[in-house]
Amino acid sequence: MSQSELLVPARSTQPWWRSRTVRRFARHRLAMFGLAMIIVLVLACVIGPFLLPFDDLYIDLRGRFSPPFTGYHFFGTDPLGRDIAARLLMAGRISLLVGFAAMLLSIVFGTVLGIVAGFFGGRIGTVLMRFVDAMLSFPNIFLLLAMAAFIKPSPTMITLIIAATSWMEIARIVEAEVRSLRERDFVVAARMLGLSNSHIMFRELLPNAIGPIIVAATLTVARAILLEAYVSFLGYGIQPPLPSWGNMLNGAQQYLDSAPWLAIVPGAAITLAVTSFNFVGDGLRDALDARSDLL
Amino acid sequence: MSNQSSSTIFRPTRRQTLGMAIASAAGLAMPNLTGAGKALAATPPSGPKGQVIVGFSQEPTVFNPHLVHIEVDEGIHFSVFDPLFGVDPKGNFFPALAKEVPTVENGGISADGLEWHVKLRDDVKWHDGKPFTAEDVKFTLELLVDPKFLSWRRAGHELVQDLTVVSPTEISWKMKEPYAPYPSILAATFIVPKHVLGAAEDKNTAPFNNAPIGTGPFKWVERTAGDHIELAANTDYFGDGPYLERLIYKYIPDLTVLYTQFKTGDIDVIGLQWITADHYEEAKRLSGTSVAVIPAATVESLSFNMERPQFKELAVRQALYYALDKQTIIDALYYGLPTPTETYMPQQSFYYNPDLPKQEYDLDKAKKLLDDAGWVPGSDGIRVKDGVRLSFKNSTTAGNHIREQAQQFIQQSYRDVGVEVEISNLPPAVMWGDYWVKSEFDSVVVGINFLTGSDPDTSDYLGSKSTPAKGGAGQNTWQYASPEVDKLLESGGVEFEPEKRKQAYLKIQETVRNDLPFLPMFQYATVRGHKSGVEGVVPNINVRIDSWDVATWYWS
Amino acid sequence: MLRYLLGRFWQSLVLLLLVSVIGFAVLNLAPGGPLSQFTLTPGMTQADLDRIATQMGLNRPLPVQYLDWLGHLLRGDWGRSFRDGRPVLDIIWGHLLATLLLMGVSTAIAIFVGTCVGVLGALKRYSIFDYAATVGAMVALSIPTFWFGLIAIYIFSLRLRWLPAGNMYTIGDGSLGDYAIHLIMPSIVLALVNIAVWSRYMRTATLDVINQDFVRTARAKGLRPRRVLIRHILGNALLPMITLLGLQLPTILGGALVTETVFTWPGMGRLFLDSLGYSDYPVVMGLLMMSAVLVLVGNLAADLAVAFVDPRIRLS
Repeated sequence: MSQSELLVPARSTQPWWRSRTVRRFARHRLAMFGLAMIIVLVLACVIGPFLLPFDDLYIDLRGRFSPPFTGYHFFGTDPLGRDIAARLLMAGRISLLVGFAAMLLSIVFGTVLGIVAGFFGGRIGTVLMRFVDAMLSFPNIFLLLAMAAFIKPSPTMITLIIAATSWMEIARIVEAEVRSLRERDFVVAARMLGLSNSHIMFRELLPNAIGPIIVAATLTVARAILLEAYVSFLGYGIQPPLPSWGNMLNGAQQYLDSAPWLAIVPGAAITLAVTSFNFVGDGLRDALDARSDLL
Repeated sequence: MSNQSSSTIFRPTRRQTLGMAIASAAGLAMPNLTGAGKALAATPPSGPKGQVIVGFSQEPTVFNPHLVHIEVDEGIHFSVFDPLFGVDPKGNFFPALAKEVPTVENGGISADGLEWHVKLRDDVKWHDGKPFTAEDVKFTLELLVDPKFLSWRRAGHELVQDLTVVSPTEISWKMKEPYAPYPSILAATFIVPKHVLGAAEDKNTAPFNNAPIGTGPFKWVERTAGDHIELAANTDYFGDGPYLERLIYKYIPDLTVLYTQFKTGDIDVIGLQWITADHYEEAKRLSGTSVAVIPAATVESLSFNMERPQFKELAVRQALYYALDKQTIIDALYYGLPTPTETYMPQQSFYYNPDLPKQEYDLDKAKKLLDDAGWVPGSDGIRVKDGVRLSFKNSTTAGNHIREQAQQFIQQSYRDVGVEVEISNLPPAVMWGDYWVKSEFDSVVVGINFLTGSDPDTSDYLGSKSTPAKGGAGQNTWQYASPEVDKLLESGGVEFEPEKRKQAYLKIQETVRNDLPFLPMFQYATVRGHKSGVEGVVPNINVRIDSWDVATWYWS
Repeated sequence: MLRYLLGRFWQSLVLLLLVSVIGFAVLNLAPGGPLSQFTLTPGMTQADLDRIATQMGLNRPLPVQYLDWLGHLLRGDWGRSFRDGRPVLDIIWGHLLATLLLMGVSTAIAIFVGTCVGVLGALKRYSIFDYAATVGAMVALSIPTFWFGLIAIYIFSLRLRWLPAGNMYTIGDGSLGDYAIHLIMPSIVLALVNIAVWSRYMRTATLDVINQDFVRTARAKGLRPRRVLIRHILGNALLPMITLLGLQLPTILGGALVTETVFTWPGMGRLFLDSLGYSDYPVVMGLLMMSAVLVLVGNLAADLAVAFVDPRIRLS
């Protein structure tokens, strides 16, 4: 893998924001678009609810199923007469938070497991990686639903179970990376210096594997948002009245004919957010991949 | 209990038990959904003709009627099997495999209700051509209490002893003790063939369970799992009908799709779970179909766990009842279809108490009650008394959309009187497990059918000894304990004179209304429909499924 | 070769064992259980529930239940459904075909469209088409499948009334054309994500091949462009595709589950959700095991196919 060699000198000679990687990333138009969208979305979800004239939880049964642009209900109202725009933004907080948190957890767990497996190799590595294989060999949606169906759904629990079914690919990536680095000069040198295993793993190997981890992290956020949406759509995820993009879609199929905006608005938000993260992930991958310069 | 009074339970009157006051309950019934309409309509054909497709939103999967099953399975049971006698929409028993409904007059039951003697028809054949005899009845009643058999229900059957086959068309037994609900239970007990099921080594996994053989109007043809079940006319049927050549039960797991298929004519009769309330306005304007609102026996309530410190005080429960805007919930969320109620007893029942005080929605009265009882708002606006915050969790099945909406609406109105509701919904498998049964909840929004068939006995729900959390064996999950109700339940359970029995149940309803272990909200109504040409589809509140009279359905 | 196969076989068995332990633990450590669905049945009492639980063996300690289940599985008995008492294998088999049909048709669509888009994109690199295909693929990867299904139903079933909103066939019809009409929407919805994946991989793979010497040589020899394209590029680029297909299996299976729920397709996904709703553990366990087997077999088949197609790869 060539990015490690690129990264090592990059770290030592110039500040990271002027590195070739960052410059390549900045030239990636889609990635910049994605990054901009993410910033806009996050700002909207953080600030937006304060600017709207409606509370996301306020029920007004006389105003249920108002179509978009009824008065100040820009996106219409839901079956309880709550403002969809207000709910969409509050839901964004939950969904994005769940996405980020699930990503962080999977990254930490996947990375630690991957490094340990890759560094020690041998029996420990085999056992750990077989466990990863086992987890990967059912569609994670099966496992996710099986867990969600029996757990009292709260944002924390949903985050945990999404993370529990999302860390495996990161572990695989990191393990492969570390295994390839293990016999490199700087690791051998560190060993000869008598540095502790944990020092070598987390001070020497981890920084060199950081590129693929960052890419995987972005894509994991995107996937976690999708997973939350699907589980909540089926009614096993975040529970009302707390809104999430997924549970806003829950029940939308029932009203698809009479109130299609119930389905269209939150779905569009999910698509926008996930697309943005995927754009950024794609940009990062290109930026970190030395080959993109050669081609 | 005098000898005389015990007899009348077996002489059902027209008014006894549940009557199907369809028109009065909703005022919207179509004539051809009622029995009266049937008489006016075309006459049935001379032989079986055509096919009817019934859509169900759940999949029937258990075809042995005595194995553990869910209500949709009974759709098949009613088509393939017969009980000794059935129960009609008015709550009257009518003979099926029995020659006559056993009563004291005809000598079927001894005056004390302990000795039974049932005469059977001699012209009934199983679908495989073998004759039906008293041995089959004996086999069925014994199977129900067989310790190795995964029996659906044993209540009542456990009291049966000394089962004796007198002749192929006569059977007799003794009851250990008088048990007034037993006729209702027998009316839901289908007779299964001894020569088929009896031969199976393991009756829980016998091939019979997936290819049932009965005496009913329709014969088993085949099942395409996850999709449909096909039945064909039993031309040797002993009773009226069948008038259809083929009967298909189609499984359509999504209520919206179920309705769409009804709209497009893909299904002829829309069965269990029926048409969702939000489609009622559209459905009743459809051409070529009959759609009507039919009351169901299920009563929706906000149920309390009475052992929680928040709910121990009657004033709190009363205040919460005042703050419950039933009518808005019914009108806005349930499209005005259900009827508000003050009791757990269906309004069509002979035992229904119509004189209970009507609930008012009055936030001021609610606040005053709480103020007077010493529950004062704390700094966060939530009321507190003796260190107990008037805050509680409310749970129901996650995914039940309309109920979740009602819950959120209640949460908002309770906040206005200084009561905090935290919504905590659970997946069905968790919700109705120990969480509900062992009273681990604070409060629950739940729809319960308190009756077994048409019998008014509710000791399993209201008796103080029926609380599983306290070691009881029933389903009194409110942990409701009232010595008065206990006494009345006991007398009602062994009282055989309907008018006298009624006094006990009227009083029970009054006591429960005063004590409010649960806040009664409304009695459910379902929107049912079928194609205009299908005749004979009569709703029956005493059974759990539409196809109870499928033998007499026909195309006009 | 035989040694390799045996090795893979043992590895797979260990994997399956792990899968079963994980699955069993997840399902059984949770509260509630298969009897909850009967709780609200009129007349149901705690006494009945307790008796039924004992009769069904649900009160035994978990390890005992697991070993019992495993023992039966090893003897080829996948257990019986708690709901209808039918053998689990029969039940799954009934739903497996529907899922395989949906997956098969959809994957065929995905491979065809994805290959065309990917190769064209690579040949006309940095053209508007290439750029649009790249962006399109990213967006397709980001649309929630179930939501895309909902929107498709809204447009094509509810508004235009061109296609049925769900199910696999019309009752009483069941002709080939009828199946085909019902297949259109779900298979395209399911294919969307895979088209994106395939076109991206195909584009990269084609680029790799184009830049290799033998293609340049072929071109230099004056071979017609189409011949070069088909013979050399496709021939070489399809190789990694086979591996990809194997690796994509869990994703496609998961996608099929999602699609089935929206289109009420009577496949494994819907069976899974139904069985979860009833806590029908034997069926859920069966489905987990079955999907794991499918995935393992898929991976192995992909490896073998690659070795078969390309003699340079030695299995070891």
